[in-house]
This record gives sequence, structure tokens and C-alpha cells, in this order.
Amino acid sequence: MKKAYRNLMLCTKDCLCLYVCPTGATDTEDSIIDLEKCIGCGVCAESCPSKAISMLPEELPPQQPKTDAVKAGLGGMAQRKADEEKQALQLAQNAGTDGLYRLMNAIAKSSRLVAEDLMREAGYMLPQSANSRELLKEIAQMSSEEDMPAAAAKKLLEKIKFNE
Amino acid sequence: MKYVCKVCGYVYDEDKRGIPFAQLPEDWKCPLCKAPKSEFEAQGGEDKPAAEPAERELGSLSEETQGKLSLGQLAAICSNLARGCEKQYKFEKAELFTKLANQFSASVKPFEDVSPERLAAELREDAENYASLRATADADKDRGAARVCVWGEKVTRMASSLLERYLAEGEAMFEGGEVWLCTACGFISVEGTAPQICPVCKVPAWKFENMEGRETA
Repeated sequence: MKKAYRNLMLCTKDCLCLYVCPTGATDTEDSIIDLEKCIGCGVCAESCPSKAISMLPEELPPQQPKTDAVKAGLGGMAQRKADEEKQALQLAQNAGTDGLYRLMNAIAKSSRLVAEDLMREAGYMLPQSANSRELLKEIAQMSSEEDMPAAAAKKLLEKIKFNE
Repeated sequence: MKYVCKVCGYVYDEDKRGIPFAQLPEDWKCPLCKAPKSEFEAQGGEDKPAAEPAERELGSLSEETQGKLSLGQLAAICSNLARGCEKQYKFEKAELFTKLANQFSASVKPFEDVSPERLAAELREDAENYASLRATADADKDRGAARVCVWGEKVTRMASSLLERYLAEGEAMFEGGEVWLCTACGFISVEGTAPQICPVCKVPAWKFENMEGRETA
């Protein structure tokens, strides 16, 4: 079963989706398609002139398997990026000039984006994957001094419908 | 002879331009992504030996922490999974993953000796280390991992060359320029306006963030 989602960054309010939707799911006061009403027919996505509606399956396939060598390599580089992010944040904090402050914050954010991308390719692409479930289980068992992450991880374990 | 930008792939063709690459001024920059002249290499020039996949301990993500994920890695995994939820329009779960990421980030131990020089050296080292990572990806026929190497190396090269430029020029490098960050791949540009298209990952200009200064932050 698929459901329709509207990307508000792309929507140009041509409102063809209102004309074609058989259940009125697209006509909402906050522009978010009503998933209770959506029957997944896809007519809105096909008729949207700005290509702002996409049909997303409710269940995603398992993510691609990764070899140990790839995981180790990407994880090692992600660690470097995490260290660089921390250094850049410290340098931004200590910066006496505005240019350096901006450049350091940019490098910190850039390092995080690169680290995220590396970890995504190291087996943590989908929140509903088995890898993510195992990780959340570990976080949920973290010691009491780090109690806060454990609570959030437990909530996620309850809420996510895992696909593997 | 042709010279290729290692950041965005722009080709400088000496025959068409009429000026030999070596005679371009030292502050000449890539017309497309503004990478410095030093980030160019001769096309089909000296044959570099193919990189070998580095030997890494199997089964562990991080060599330093013997199989256990570090706080920094956990932060990156969780903020990435938050994006994964957001893209599927699952905002409540995204918020929980963001919370986890922030908690892990806040627990990362500060470095005792930080300097722009040290950071520049580490970034430069990373840029060179991507070749062996790419070789690992290719050996295991992992196109996704190969893609992450291509983007990561370019983004890292740009960051390191901008930081090196800062070390040479200081605050003058920001005159008339803003600091732009591609929120998709992390490419950084110091220009008056955001690039029309990201030279690395090709997203449109609106995906760039204008890094705010202290006064306005």
C-alpha cells in the first residue's frame, strides 16, 4: 500500500490534486495530505503540474547489505569527521573574528553531513532497519547517568515498525 | 594539455584558452567552484599508482574503539536516522532521533589542543585517504560506498583549501563574500551569492545555507 505526500517546497498551489482526489484527502487547511482519507490511488501525483506529490510505500524493502571491510573503512572515516566537527565547534566558540566564526561553523556542519553520509552507507540508512533496531536496543540499555538517551531509544523501539 | 579540478571536475583546456596553465596567476580559481589552482591536476598526466584498499580490522566500525561506536559516530548515525524519518514524513520519530543525536554530541569530549592549523592538516590528510577508502568500495563492488567517497573527498578538499586560504589571507578572504553551505553534501563556498547548482552534488541554490555571523546568530 502506498500513500501520497506533498512536498511543500515544490507545491505551486495549482490545486489539480483537489480536482482529482476521490476522497478529498488532498483538501486540508494545513496543506498536508490527510493519510486517514488517502486510499493510495496515485491520481493526485500523476496530475500534479509541479511534481510536488510523491507516492511512498508504507513498507520499505530491507536496505542493501554491506561488507565488513566497507563498514570498517567508512566508520573509520566517520570518526575522523566527528573529531573534525568537534574541533571546528571549539574553534568557532573561541573565534575572535566573524569570518573565522562563520567558516568554523560551516566546517562543523559540513563534517557532520559527511559523517552522516558515511554512516548511512555503513549500514544505517533506514530508521526501520534491523541495524537501527539493534542500535536502539543497545542505547536503551545505557547506564543511568546517560538515562536520557535510553528513554528516547525505548520510545523509538515502541513506535517504529521495523522492516526486517 | 588539459587540467581538471579535483573538486568539481571543471576542465581547463590550454589549447582553447591560449594561456598555459602554469602561467595562470597563483590566486587564479576554478571558474565553476572557486577551488584554488592547487586543486587542479593534469588530465592523463603522471600515472599515479592505483590506491590499494587499506587493511582494516573486520567487524568493527571504528578501529579506535574496538567494535564499539564512539559518541561522535552515534551522533552522526542518529542525526542521519532523523533525516531518514523526516524524508518519510515521520516527524515525531525524527524529533526523538534528533534528541538522541544532540545528547551524544553534547557528551563528546573537547580536544585539549585545537588550532586552525591542526584542523587544516587533518582535513588535508583525509582528502588523501579517500583513495584507499574508494579502493575498498570498488573491491567490494559497493556503488553507494563509492558515491560517498566521491562526494566526501570533494567536500573535504574544498573545506581544507578554504581553511588553508584563511591561514594565508585571514579575514580579508570574506570581503564581499558570504559563507555558503550545501545542506545536502556539505560543500562550502565563500562567494557573494550561493552557487546556482552545487558543484559536488548538483542540488539547486535554495539548498544552500548562508552561515550567520555572531551578531545575527
